[in-house]
Amino acid sequence: MKLWNFLRPPPLDPKLKVVGATAIFRDCSRQELEILKLYLHERHYLAGEIVFDEGEEGEGVYIVLSGKFVATRKGMLKRKKIGEILPGECFGEIALLEATPRLATVVAEESSVVLAMFRPELERLAEARPRLGFKLAMQVARLIAVRLRRMVEGTGESQVLS
Amino acid sequence: MSEEPRLSHERSLEHPIIWVGVIGATLGSIVLLDRVAWLALPLILAVVLYYLVQPFLVRLQHAGVLPNQALMIFLVLASFVCVVASLTVLPAMFNSLARFQSELPDTMQRLTKIASEFLQSVENRLPLAKRAGLASGMEARLDFFAQGKGTQFAGDAALFAFKWLPSLLLVPFLTFFFLRDAAAFHRLVMRAVPNAFFEKTLLLFDRMDRQMRAYFRGMFWLTMLDTVTLGLGLWLLGLGQNIFSFQHAMLLGLICAVFAWVPYVGTAVGGVIAVCVCALQAPHSPQLIMGVVFLFLGVRLLDEFLYTPMTVGRALHMHPLVTVMMIFAGGMLGGVYGLLLAMPLLGIFTVLGQMFGEIWFDPRLRARHSARNLLEKRLASNDLEI
Repeated sequence: MKLWNFLRPPPLDPKLKVVGATAIFRDCSRQELEILKLYLHERHYLAGEIVFDEGEEGEGVYIVLSGKFVATRKGMLKRKKIGEILPGECFGEIALLEATPRLATVVAEESSVVLAMFRPELERLAEARPRLGFKLAMQVARLIAVRLRRMVEGTGESQVLS
Repeated sequence: MSEEPRLSHERSLEHPIIWVGVIGATLGSIVLLDRVAWLALPLILAVVLYYLVQPFLVRLQHAGVLPNQALMIFLVLASFVCVVASLTVLPAMFNSLARFQSELPDTMQRLTKIASEFLQSVENRLPLAKRAGLASGMEARLDFFAQGKGTQFAGDAALFAFKWLPSLLLVPFLTFFFLRDAAAFHRLVMRAVPNAFFEKTLLLFDRMDRQMRAYFRGMFWLTMLDTVTLGLGLWLLGLGQNIFSFQHAMLLGLICAVFAWVPYVGTAVGGVIAVCVCALQAPHSPQLIMGVVFLFLGVRLLDEFLYTPMTVGRALHMHPLVTVMMIFAGGMLGGVYGLLLAMPLLGIFTVLGQMFGEIWFDPRLRARHSARNLLEKRLASNDLEI
């Protein structure tokens, strides 16, 4: 029994479990998640701290490990809340495709921890592991398509991020 | 509310302080590296090896091999090549060196004779050269070297090798750790970067990495262009007298192109080698020797004003004038070291300058960083109930 336990792979890092459950990384195998770990940067945010602001050139995607974030956009008179981002969810994924201006400002509502992934690093990873790169690109495309459909169907901006 | 314009990469470089800083940092680093050359040389060589080996590891990863396994495969292959080389190539090389050493006095005598005959013929044609005593002066210098006094140079060379050998032994170790821990080190550095500057700093690392790759790619193409130009030139010059086969001409071109990695000095050394080979093969053809000298001068000019700006300069997105001026300034400050390092250092500091400009002149990023500091202070005050 002990020998069998020795042969079994060690349990998956809890952070990677969260990453594996997010929409973008859902299709990744355990081995691919272990490789992705090399490219994930852990960042800690205080309540009220800005992660990125609207119009800033986006360079990466963020996966929430703990805490809570709020996304807002500039309105005619005041900032408009467009959604909340909770653990297990990701934000800023359009930046994985190209360096376009961020569509919203994201602020930590409470002390939070995120894992960030940077586009040029993902591009290099995709060159080294095209299969993984394809999976991630398809998942990002699907996610954006879902959000676009919701927007076109008039579900409302506040629902777009969920 | 209107969208506020953001500073682009190009705009951040327009600031004169950034340019002065980039040039100052490049020249300062050349002076500093020249001072600590013993340690800097293995570090630089290890970085070069890292960039040469890394594409191979990436190719292995393409095939589905994990990073650590790829490194192990490379180490096994490198060890195997070293063992095979030490068993086969090295004995042959030492034999050739021993033969070269035994033939050296004879070769030197022949070269001295050829040089003095050539200079005599120049003196016969140019009275000015005769008055300057060109042939007798050169003969005296060559005699000084050939008749034993030159042995001190051999001693100096041995001391030089002895001084640099321990430093060079560091190169494989440093390269191994660069290959193994580069990613982990990168993550460690990133952890120290404040949140507000995190994305921009990641971008900086990425650009620096690309800049280095572009430089080495540029150097590769420069070597290829030099090889083809010199090889074809030597082959065409020796065509009438059947001096070189096409392969030999190209091989000599490649050796000279590799020497040319050290700007100016390297080309001169390569030129001297080619002239000596031609003089030994065709001793009664001063026109050929003059042709080789002019070929090397021509390639030197092509290198400086066409090839380098086209390959290395273009890879680093630099103006040809800046490229040439920085090579000259690097040579003045750091000699051979400065000549070699001017371009890669300028590339790195240009990227650093760009990124510094982007961060420093972006008031929003600085405001976000200040806000984080305020939040930290407030949090600490609340904890302490102040």
